[in-house]
Amino acid sequence: MARTLTMIEAITEAMAQEMERDERVFVMGEDIGLSGGVFKATAGLYDKFGEERVLDTPLAEGNIIASAVGASMVGLRPIAEIQFADFITPAMESIVQQASKIRYRSAGGYGCSLTVRICCGGGTGGGLYHSQENASWFVHEPGLKVVMPSTPYDAKGLLLAAIRDPNPVLYFEHKKLYRTAKGDVPEGDYTVPIGKAETRRQGRDMTVVTYGYMTSLCLEAAEQMSKNGVEAEVIDLRTLSPLDRDTVLESVRRTNKCLIVHEDKRTLGIGGEISAIIAEEAFEDLDGPIVRITGPDVPAIPFAPPLEHAWMVNTEKIVAGMQKLAAY
Amino acid sequence: MASKSGRAVAELEVEKGENGRELMVGLYQMLVKCRMCDEKARILFRQGKYAGNFYSGVGQEAAEVGAAYSLREDDWIAPSHRDWTSNIIKGAPLKLCFAQLFGKATSPDRGKSTPAHMGYPPIHTITPASSIAGQLAVGTGVAFGLKRLGRDTVVVSFFGDGATSLGGFHEALNFAGVHRLPIIYVCQNNLWAESVPLRLQTALTNLSDRAKAYGFPGVSVDGNDVMAVYDVATKAIARARSGEGPTFIECKTYRWYGHSEIDPAKYRTKEEVESWKKRDPLVLFEKVLRDKKLLTDELKDKIAKTVTQEINEAVEFAEQSPYPDASELKDHIWAQE
Repeated sequence: MARTLTMIEAITEAMAQEMERDERVFVMGEDIGLSGGVFKATAGLYDKFGEERVLDTPLAEGNIIASAVGASMVGLRPIAEIQFADFITPAMESIVQQASKIRYRSAGGYGCSLTVRICCGGGTGGGLYHSQENASWFVHEPGLKVVMPSTPYDAKGLLLAAIRDPNPVLYFEHKKLYRTAKGDVPEGDYTVPIGKAETRRQGRDMTVVTYGYMTSLCLEAAEQMSKNGVEAEVIDLRTLSPLDRDTVLESVRRTNKCLIVHEDKRTLGIGGEISAIIAEEAFEDLDGPIVRITGPDVPAIPFAPPLEHAWMVNTEKIVAGMQKLAAY
Repeated sequence: MASKSGRAVAELEVEKGENGRELMVGLYQMLVKCRMCDEKARILFRQGKYAGNFYSGVGQEAAEVGAAYSLREDDWIAPSHRDWTSNIIKGAPLKLCFAQLFGKATSPDRGKSTPAHMGYPPIHTITPASSIAGQLAVGTGVAFGLKRLGRDTVVVSFFGDGATSLGGFHEALNFAGVHRLPIIYVCQNNLWAESVPLRLQTALTNLSDRAKAYGFPGVSVDGNDVMAVYDVATKAIARARSGEGPTFIECKTYRWYGHSEIDPAKYRTKEEVESWKKRDPLVLFEKVLRDKKLLTDELKDKIAKTVTQEINEAVEFAEQSPYPDASELKDHIWAQE
């Protein structure tokens, strides 16, 4: 039976159910135990499973990931939390030198079944160091899977899939969706496949490729355009690595136009990669240039409201991009 | 303590005696084996038999052997780049060790990782990354996992003095202290981190003092005295196995050669090198054995011959093994679900 849950409730439920089902699963991170997490993602888990399985770690992101990698090598299934994506930099070493490479450098002798939950994203007044959406950093690293849900249904299903995946999965959660995204979530066990995009809206006139928080903005923009007779197809990637190239290419070949929308910075963002894939594989199907609506090439999201607003992708910016593309 | 004759030199018949006698001869055999393999690895590199690089641990054998000799098969080692021989001590077949140097398809990682960066999953040596201190951070996670699983297995983590400067080192030891993890940190303080002397690495005289900051015992020991290292390490291993937590062991030792085979190590004085060579861990221990009448010329020759034969067979196996096929480039990126 499905109920309406917020995204944060869906995330908590996924962890609780998987910890119940699989003794090997445990959660570790900063402030996740006694306090239940800054955003309460782990609320109730400490009381239910105890400090052995809901572990408040020392304040050291590098060690959170390194020790989770080690624990996964002996068969455990850690869920490590990075409180804010901004603070993942001390863990880069552990993620890109250990988690992503341990299987390769041991020719499969050692594995790394690890889930890293990472709270990310701007638009909430977090300022430079509580706002970054930096998932693209990790898309560059084969050996890592990178996912980002846009709905509570996907949040639960993707998290269950991530925990069960024998590879390291970075699971990004946009903080703006935690309590604003509400939707039906089945009570029982289900997974959303990693590596499969979801077409959220059908349309014949252009393909919009997006993910995470931006998905709802793109759907709003598509509805506005529909009033003027332009029907946009909206693809929610859900997984950034491995990328569902087939779904994107199939859609672009049908609509002949493509708009890519992401909050992350523009240069070398995932939009650049998707553009290149389309240019390489579907060049002759295009009736216009690939258009990107993205965060700007500014070091981080500034604090003052007008500056933050100027950074953030919003419905107006997306509509403008759609109009530009529709004019071709 | 379990007999180590099976691991030390496969076919050698060690004259049975009291435990101490068997242990000491076993330690000697392992020292010889590590020295001869390491020297052979250097020669093979200089002959151009394999590419990449090699990080010799010659001169540091007593630290390696003393710390890891009493480990059980289900215990783990988290080695660094200079600990290729930890695989040998733990019981990896020599053929695989030399295949690793050559990057052949018969090596444990099918030629993926570089010559000295060897791990062998069946005996729980962890394939190291080149980034310094990474192995001890991951090794600490393994210890955490082992404790969580309720096992009485332990991890020995090897690293040099340079590694103690990295943040990851401090984070790992702090975590191990908090959770009383079954891990023994073995620092081979060889006075040089590549070309940087210890005095520019730390203001400490004894690196073992660092342990105090993490709430567990630290001890400095003569790293060229295999019995001294063995004594300290077996106590630390027993402590870790019984749930009492980590120990930091600083082995004061010296690497005879450069940081790697392409480093002539001109930053050191000849006098410094020669003074340490006079304290060769093998020669020191040989004298002890001879004083105790545990080693004769005949036994010494027999050990050398046996190891030489085993090395020759291993090198031949490595040379004759094929390289991995280029089609394997994209293998082992993802788990086969």
